[in-house]
Amino acid sequence: MGTRILAVEDDERIRSAVKLALEDEGWTVDEAESGEVAIELFYRQAPDVVLIDIMLPGIDGFELCRTLRRTSAVPIVMVTARNDTHDIVAGLEAGADDYLTKPFAAKELSARIRALLRRIRPSSPAHARLVFGELELIPEEGKVLRDGEEVHLTKTEFRLLCELAENPGKVFSREALLDKVWGYDYFGDGRLVDVHVRRLRTKVEADPANPRHVVTVRGLGYRLQT
Amino acid sequence: MTATTTERAPVDPAEPAEPAVHRNVLQRTFGRPTVGRRAVGLRRRILLIFTLGSMTLSTFLAVTTFGLTRSNVVQQRDRASIEAARRNAQLVQDSLRANPPNIEDARDALAGFGVQRALIWYRPSQDWFTARDAPARYEASALPQALVDRVIGDAVPSRMVVDVAGETTIVVGWPVPGSGAYFEFFSLDDVNNTLGSVRLSLVFAGIITTGLGVLLGVFAARRVVRPLGAAAQAAKSFAGGRLDTRLEPTDDPDLSVLANSFNEMAASLQQRVQRDARFASDVSHELRSPLMTLSASVDVMEARRDEMPERARAALDLLSSDVTRFKGLVEDLLEISRFDAGAIRLHMEELLAAEFVRQAVAVSSMPDTALHVSERAERVLINGDRRRLARVIANLIDNARLHGGGTEPGPVEISIDVVDPPDQPVTRIQISVSDHGPGVPESERTLVFERFARGGSAGRRSGSDGAGLGLALVDEHVRMHGGKVWVTDRLDGRPGARFVIELDAEEIDE
Repeated sequence: MGTRILAVEDDERIRSAVKLALEDEGWTVDEAESGEVAIELFYRQAPDVVLIDIMLPGIDGFELCRTLRRTSAVPIVMVTARNDTHDIVAGLEAGADDYLTKPFAAKELSARIRALLRRIRPSSPAHARLVFGELELIPEEGKVLRDGEEVHLTKTEFRLLCELAENPGKVFSREALLDKVWGYDYFGDGRLVDVHVRRLRTKVEADPANPRHVVTVRGLGYRLQT
Repeated sequence: MTATTTERAPVDPAEPAEPAVHRNVLQRTFGRPTVGRRAVGLRRRILLIFTLGSMTLSTFLAVTTFGLTRSNVVQQRDRASIEAARRNAQLVQDSLRANPPNIEDARDALAGFGVQRALIWYRPSQDWFTARDAPARYEASALPQALVDRVIGDAVPSRMVVDVAGETTIVVGWPVPGSGAYFEFFSLDDVNNTLGSVRLSLVFAGIITTGLGVLLGVFAARRVVRPLGAAAQAAKSFAGGRLDTRLEPTDDPDLSVLANSFNEMAASLQQRVQRDARFASDVSHELRSPLMTLSASVDVMEARRDEMPERARAALDLLSSDVTRFKGLVEDLLEISRFDAGAIRLHMEELLAAEFVRQAVAVSSMPDTALHVSERAERVLINGDRRRLARVIANLIDNARLHGGGTEPGPVEISIDVVDPPDQPVTRIQISVSDHGPGVPESERTLVFERFARGGSAGRRSGSDGAGLGLALVDEHVRMHGGKVWVTDRLDGRPGARFVIELDAEEIDE
């Protein structure tokens, strides 16, 4: 079965052009012109990646993103026409894995989608099981347990935790994490890392305000502490 | 053209008139204009007014006080003298009432009371007698004729101020009925002494008051100017882009006028700027959507380029390159409108200069551009917004590619050097991009950093590529980073331009 992508965009012409470009990559594309249609299609088609424009009539992009996140860990790419810090961070906080600013090149979009698809299938893990205090990581099954109970992480959060867990105690710079988790070059957006670390903490830390496992190393980056 | 200009004038008369009105308001508020004269500062003017005021006031008070004191003292002395003279005249009269009257008895009686400065005109002998032991200067010749006439001739008691051997003296004359007249001298010297010391203390008091006035003036001037300083600082900070700057509200009704109108102005400007920023972002959305469609469609066509007939392929190439250019232009336009709205927030981080430039070159339009880093510059940190500085490098490389002859006449080179001499710590580095184009003539070296600047020299900039915001953005970005950018000749003297960015830097401490 091929890769299915759900493109949510209210501008019909953009939708058509994006569909054409993505189909060139060999993917199947479903179109939704509004959040309501998108939710219905999402449950019917079970896409592998969702592309959401922030500016939507009715349910807006942020809300749609939050709605999907409640039940699904599907990779989401947010599309924004503005380069405002506010929109981007709000989108990431709502649960997006990555973002693109209009107008983006079709090649850029497919590269981002490919990076997200790669993330679903993590590279062969070195350890079958990793334990950090009350946290337990089972990379092969894509599972994280806290005090024996499963914690639901998105693919990106899980991948981020895995990368940090590969080398416990080692400091990973934002650039290194952007490269390993998101497939970005040197000029990726460090906010992607920051927001995802924040979200990861709310799920795996007992007290997200005073993290014990995913620790910030000021000026350098992040590391995982046992 | 001329006609349109003359027609326009009456349609819009308010426009040129407005600044003049404003100037008048300012003049009214801040005093007369000081054209052709050296302007006297507000503070100095207040100080001058206080000094002159306190000086005038204390002088006036001193003069009045002195005048009143003198007339008071003199009057008192006058009355006392007249009274004393009357008593003594009575004494003389009593002595002369004896039978036969003897002038010597009168003199004895006077001497008995210690009166020395007296004269008796004895009618029976038509002669003048002085008191016993009278100092020589108190004799008849010292009496003014008018007084003698009035006292002896008209038999009216009289007084007069005369000068006796340099001493101010009151002479009082009392007629002695039947026997003649009695005159007595009262020196005013002690009165003068008193008045002298009064004068001296008044002068001192005046000086002290004036001094206090000056101090008060300094204080008042400082008080008056302080809110002006605060206002000036606020205006400066506002001009510097901090649009939320406001003056603190005050209870002072005079100052609150300034504070309120400043704050109103600031609020309305901020609103306008925010509206413009919103407009820019709305425009962004509007322009980006069709561009998005264009861009994605062109990509789809590009994928099928090989299946196209040659003419369609040529057209696609044109379309593709112009869509790219349009995209760049919209991005630049938005970025620069963000600058104008003061909406740019830099994400500053420490960057290893050499590593950073290497990465920036790698993602630019000429990733193979040669980079020379001096040994010292390898270990230098700069503080900056990674993505914006990368944009600066990319724009300079684009500029070299488009206007510097590309790589045809010779490769574009980038070098990083430390500005400071070897024996001093690193504070500045230069990143320069050199090309082999025709260079930039001296007269256009600031012009090229202006928006949509086109090189004046014909043929240098190939037609459509000339207009742009690339270098203007470089200028804005570098300035926001506290650095500067300029264009100059190549170092090796060959034709070509060299764009130099200078930024603050520091050595890695290890």
